[in-house]
Amino acid sequence: MLVNPSGVFLATSRTVDNFFSKRGPKEAAGDNESESGPKMYVETDCQDPNPRTEGAVAAAIAEGGFSQTVPNSTHKNHSGFEENLKLSMQELSYHHHHHHQNPIHEDAAAVTAMEIELQQQLAFNMDNSYNTADHNNSHSFMNNSYSVREKQEIDHFNQHHPHQDQQLQQIDSHQSFDYSSQQNYPYTPEPDLLNLFHLPRYSVSPLLTNSSISFSNPSQKTANYQNAHGLLEDAPTAADSASGASFLYDPLFHLNLHPQPPLIKEYFESLPNGYMPGSRNGSFSCPGGDEREGSGSVYQDGDLRQFENGVLEFTSDMACIAKSRDGETKATEHQRRQQPDKASVVADAIEYIKELTRRVNELKWLVEKKRCGRETSKRPKTEDDDAVNDEESCNMKPLGDTDHSFNGSLRCSWLRRKSKYTEVDVRIIHDEVTIKLVQRKNNCLVFVSKALDELQLDLHHVASGHIGDFYSFLINSKICEGSSVYASSIADKLIEVVDRQCAAVQPTAYYRDGEDCPGKQVTP
Amino acid sequence: MEQVGFALGELCITGEGSSRGRMGRKRHSDDIEDTSQFKSKNLKAERKRREKLSNRLLTLRALVPLITNMNKATIVEDAITYILGLQKTVEVLQDQLCEFEASSQEDAKPRNEVEVDAAGGTNGSGIQAEVQVTVIDEDRLWIKIIFEKKRGGFTRLMEAMRAFGLEFIDANVTTSLGTMLVSSSVKGIYGEKLAVQYTRELLLDIINGI
Repeated sequence: MLVNPSGVFLATSRTVDNFFSKRGPKEAAGDNESESGPKMYVETDCQDPNPRTEGAVAAAIAEGGFSQTVPNSTHKNHSGFEENLKLSMQELSYHHHHHHQNPIHEDAAAVTAMEIELQQQLAFNMDNSYNTADHNNSHSFMNNSYSVREKQEIDHFNQHHPHQDQQLQQIDSHQSFDYSSQQNYPYTPEPDLLNLFHLPRYSVSPLLTNSSISFSNPSQKTANYQNAHGLLEDAPTAADSASGASFLYDPLFHLNLHPQPPLIKEYFESLPNGYMPGSRNGSFSCPGGDEREGSGSVYQDGDLRQFENGVLEFTSDMACIAKSRDGETKATEHQRRQQPDKASVVADAIEYIKELTRRVNELKWLVEKKRCGRETSKRPKTEDDDAVNDEESCNMKPLGDTDHSFNGSLRCSWLRRKSKYTEVDVRIIHDEVTIKLVQRKNNCLVFVSKALDELQLDLHHVASGHIGDFYSFLINSKICEGSSVYASSIADKLIEVVDRQCAAVQPTAYYRDGEDCPGKQVTP
Repeated sequence: MEQVGFALGELCITGEGSSRGRMGRKRHSDDIEDTSQFKSKNLKAERKRREKLSNRLLTLRALVPLITNMNKATIVEDAITYILGLQKTVEVLQDQLCEFEASSQEDAKPRNEVEVDAAGGTNGSGIQAEVQVTVIDEDRLWIKIIFEKKRGGFTRLMEAMRAFGLEFIDANVTTSLGTMLVSSSVKGIYGEKLAVQYTRELLLDIINGI
């Protein structure tokens, strides 16, 4: 079991969880995902330790040998959080020194990265808290971090892999799931728990984090979805083996959880992140009202209320677990708000099926074209070697099996992908690609242009604009001859590039923490 | 759905009871009326919600080649199977495409070279490379660049500008007759003030180097 100082998610240490119940503002979380190295997000302890009490007990039960120093601080306000931060840092470094299982070099790297980030986080959080006093942000951030952390814990249980690398990888992938603006891997699933979701990795959705919540609160979800939820079949065993998690089972049973048909939850699994309920309303985490947003990003007023009451001082996940003095209604209502609506799940399923059908058609067309191209290359080449000719020659050839109707028509496809800070819309007609990209954080035209070059797309027209915080680009380009790029690869690559690289760019004057990782400074 | 049915049943009963109560006892009326109105609004909302869900399920059913019975659970199940099947097909096709790509790369290369030559036709169209720089604000310049369009040329321009600490704000790019026109406002990345002449010469150099 590894203990990572400060933010590295090496899933096992619940001690870390004890100290880091919250994170700073959500931007910091959003910025911290990067695939490189042990840089994970910094967990700073902004508020109080209610989770520590339960988490601490859980950890103590489960981990046995770890020395748990549960901080006694009971600061319930933001004003106290600097002290908590410092306290947690000290505690972390204390724990770090006392756990020797980490390979030394990784520790060192992790420590330095963490400390840097922690410092940054500290600075930024303090700044943020004093400047904006934005409770919502910090709480949402905390929620994010906590849910991911929980996921990793459960993941650890499930996988039983003590190796740090594997955990790091899992953390990477978990982070990628959680922070959509981050990582968008190519379409090859990694062997981790979340693969069971069959979800492509391009965005985080409240859906996915709902599933993560289902892990972090195995009691609440397991009660309902045990049959259908393949993942949850793992969870109970994991939970049993880890009494820490099983500790979580009990308090929730008395709550009246919403019974939902188990099959709906399988929907959750099979829908990709881009099709989140409410995702059609706009992906950029609008605070307010959207009941499905809660887990992914900004926290809603309900959570704020919880915090302001001084009763529930921790993340939503813990909120579900802890007994609220206001009564269970708040927790159940909160849970219910987090769960995607049945109707919207079905609507998203419909959209997803349509998208999948389009993609299949597009890919079939391309495969056909390639196959025809190969056939014609065996014959003497005519003057016009372009796609139209290929199509015609294919139609003329008596190939029995394949249906050439695709090749007689123009290729067209359309795709839309969203991530936490980015939205991409790709339309392909024949060999022209129109891309609309809206990015929330940075002006990333240079990265986009480079990515398009790599995809063998020839830029013909770009219109870009800057509205408020948002950068939007409308790009017309042509597919170069012979390239068989398809819409989803364009969209995936763009999201990946934009989210990864733009996050690493340090914008002009002001300091944005969490974005810099030592290896990724952009030096002009 | 059964639970909803039960809940509705209860609501109906209480609604009726309250109305009887209303007729019988006038003093209690306000309270009971309020609750019955509340319950009937809830009924409407509930009904609407159920209709929404069933409409969507019908749409889903229409999209999916259902094999089994037409009830809610099987619709959902079959949709899941169908989605998984489609995902598999997508994967398979993508793999096939990758294979094709890999095996036909030799064919692709000569074509690319042809393309590059074709793109460089500025001289034929008579449009000259040009750079204009104007000050529009304290720290902003407006630039207009015309240069010969080459594959990857724009990217190189952007990267060079970035390397020199210039950032495009609101760039617009169009292409015509083998030349590319870039007009944009430019800001220093570090907030420094930019000199017009210096910037102009810098851009000319960059363009010539592309």
